[in-house]
Amino acid sequence: MNSSTRPTRTWWRIGALLAVGTLALSGCNGDNGAAPGDGDDDDTTASEDSGPVEIRFSWWGSDDRHETTQQVIDLFEDKNPDITVVPDFTDWGGYWDKLATTVAGGDTPDVITQEERYLSDYASRGVLADLDEIGVETDAIDPSILDSGTTDGGLYGVATGVNAYAIVADPAIFEQAGVDMPDDTTWTWEDFVDIANEISANTPDGVYGMQEFGGNEAGFTIYARQHGQSLYGQDGGVGYDDELLTEWNQLTMDMIEGGGQPDPAKSVEIADGGPEQSLLGTGAGAMGFWWSNQLPAISSAAGHELTLLRVPGESEFDRTGMYFKPAMYYSVSKESAHPEAAAKFVNFLLNDPEAGALILADRGLPANLDVREAISGDLEPADQLSAEFLGGLQTEIVDGPPVPPTGAAEVPEITTRLNTELIFGQMSPADVASQFTTEVSSAIGG
Amino acid sequence: MAIVDEFRRVKGTGKAGRSRSAAHRFDGRAAVVFLAPWFLGLAFITVGPMVASAYLSFTDYSLLEPPQWIGLDNYTRMFEDPRLLNALQVTFTYVLVSVPLQLGAALGLALLLDKGLRGLAFYRSVFYLPSLLGGSVAVALLWRQVFGAEGLVNQFLALFGIQGQGWVSHPDYALGTLMILNVWTFGAPMVIFLAGLRQIPQMYYEAASIDGAGRIRKFTAITFPMLTPIIFFNLILQLINAFQTFTQAAVISGGTGGPADSTMVYTLYLYQKGFTALDMGYASAMAWLLLAIVAGMTAINFLASKYWVFYND
Repeated sequence: MNSSTRPTRTWWRIGALLAVGTLALSGCNGDNGAAPGDGDDDDTTASEDSGPVEIRFSWWGSDDRHETTQQVIDLFEDKNPDITVVPDFTDWGGYWDKLATTVAGGDTPDVITQEERYLSDYASRGVLADLDEIGVETDAIDPSILDSGTTDGGLYGVATGVNAYAIVADPAIFEQAGVDMPDDTTWTWEDFVDIANEISANTPDGVYGMQEFGGNEAGFTIYARQHGQSLYGQDGGVGYDDELLTEWNQLTMDMIEGGGQPDPAKSVEIADGGPEQSLLGTGAGAMGFWWSNQLPAISSAAGHELTLLRVPGESEFDRTGMYFKPAMYYSVSKESAHPEAAAKFVNFLLNDPEAGALILADRGLPANLDVREAISGDLEPADQLSAEFLGGLQTEIVDGPPVPPTGAAEVPEITTRLNTELIFGQMSPADVASQFTTEVSSAIGG
Repeated sequence: MAIVDEFRRVKGTGKAGRSRSAAHRFDGRAAVVFLAPWFLGLAFITVGPMVASAYLSFTDYSLLEPPQWIGLDNYTRMFEDPRLLNALQVTFTYVLVSVPLQLGAALGLALLLDKGLRGLAFYRSVFYLPSLLGGSVAVALLWRQVFGAEGLVNQFLALFGIQGQGWVSHPDYALGTLMILNVWTFGAPMVIFLAGLRQIPQMYYEAASIDGAGRIRKFTAITFPMLTPIIFFNLILQLINAFQTFTQAAVISGGTGGPADSTMVYTLYLYQKGFTALDMGYASAMAWLLLAIVAGMTAINFLASKYWVFYND
């Protein structure tokens, strides 16, 4: 008898512990449900929340960004002593796995850094709050870029800053090859291929005109827009003809045959290496397609000043194709227990000049035009160059492409894979085009 | 004895039976308590997720929304997915080429080391080391460097005037570098082979020597047959391991399975479907297909083992 009472008592204890645990968990849930109603005045909402509140902010990036962001958080907490912001950061590679898993686990961060290709995935599935409803102030945000966060009938993300997909060029290599820098307002795609081939021919082995460029769908997006078409159509499918994509693929093949870019195996290898191992970064190439905010990283890898050029063909066809891309977005979770505090923090990140002075151009050239003006003097030379470049584009850019549809997160992978098939000669430009259309349609339709 | 006690208990006969059964019951409880941590782990970390994934495999689940029951759709979709077929082809090529090579290397080195070499413990450790490191991210990164355009392999080839290329970035060769990495981790089966060689009674060899058998004859008539259970064990283990390979392919291809899907092993495609395409229902169904494939391969091996594995008992 004695021997059996002891385990029984233990089981009782375990049962009690489990019961307490369950209560504690349901207590958390109750807290979640008790989100306060809409408060109009930012200053009073914190006290409505009955004491100090805690929100979590998730972002991706390098160590530099983590340090800067922590400084911004500290500053925010100094100004708002009753709000604690818990940092939640990873590198880009792990970010989306972690975010999807925390959402599935019901532990969504309050303030979420989002990206163009995922915004619609999250917004259409009801993860994100409409920022207009919770009181995020967007008066000073560049109106042409504000639309880029509007999808599924609400404002689900506000752009942190803007980038443009452009050509980074190394004047030193142009000079070495005896080739004049092109006039980037008038050069055509044919000029572009010829220049790349000529530079490769006039420079020693191992120096090339252009880094392989077909693996990023942003290039074709611009090409399609120049022809009055688009990558994604308005009604859910793709928005271009296969003939146009075949033409685009043929440009790559022309440049491989003309020697303007390296052999395919080398292209694949350096594509994985980022700015540091790029042709421009290692002084082995004259041109490459990059996002304008990558200019500082490439310049510092190259060790000398590089310059930005408009994409070819901007005056060749129906219209211009370049566009401002939101570097990233700030979004707020629909399930947030403290939407007012979250909105307040997003306002601070977007609109506060002191926060802007810390972040500078790290999240793209600020989308808030007042902040952009205020920090323009503090930027690094390379950032300043890209700021001027973007300023010059302001009047030329017609509009922005719509938010990529749900399922667009698969498109970069499809683009890179099929482009690899193309450059290794395993598929013809036309076959790649029709295969791309099939796969993209199925990704964004499903 | 125990069986007799058990029998007595069931029959309810004899005093000894009753007191023994109380002791048994106590032992049983103690066993439950000591096993509890393991059972909890099994329940929450293995069985729970497996049951969940079985359920999810019949649903449309994006991770962001609650799963929705769609019956067998995920399973029927798999037959129409050319990239899944490609992933299966890549994985089977990888397994069927690299596992036999790996076991061959392991057996060969085990035979060499079994010669009573001085400093055996040192060599054993050195050869075992890659098995500990082979699955790590660091070694996969190193592999990228070794087989890169400017890597060690090409520097070596350059000595002979051969201009190599970026092996990991060419679709025809990338999978080959992965196979070499797997073969390189032959240390774990080698250590098991070494232990197996030690189990073979010396008297067989002595008897064979007296009968005038040479080295090769001794290997084919004694060593190999006596070692077949160990070979079988290693084969099953390494097959299962190779089917589940993920880290090396993910790191060497930068998570893409590229170039052009040439290193897209099954688990990497599963991962992409689950986390990039946010199609966790389909990914769960894929996991169950993999389980069925591995179980099928193992069953075939067990059936075939009747014809070549020799149990000395």
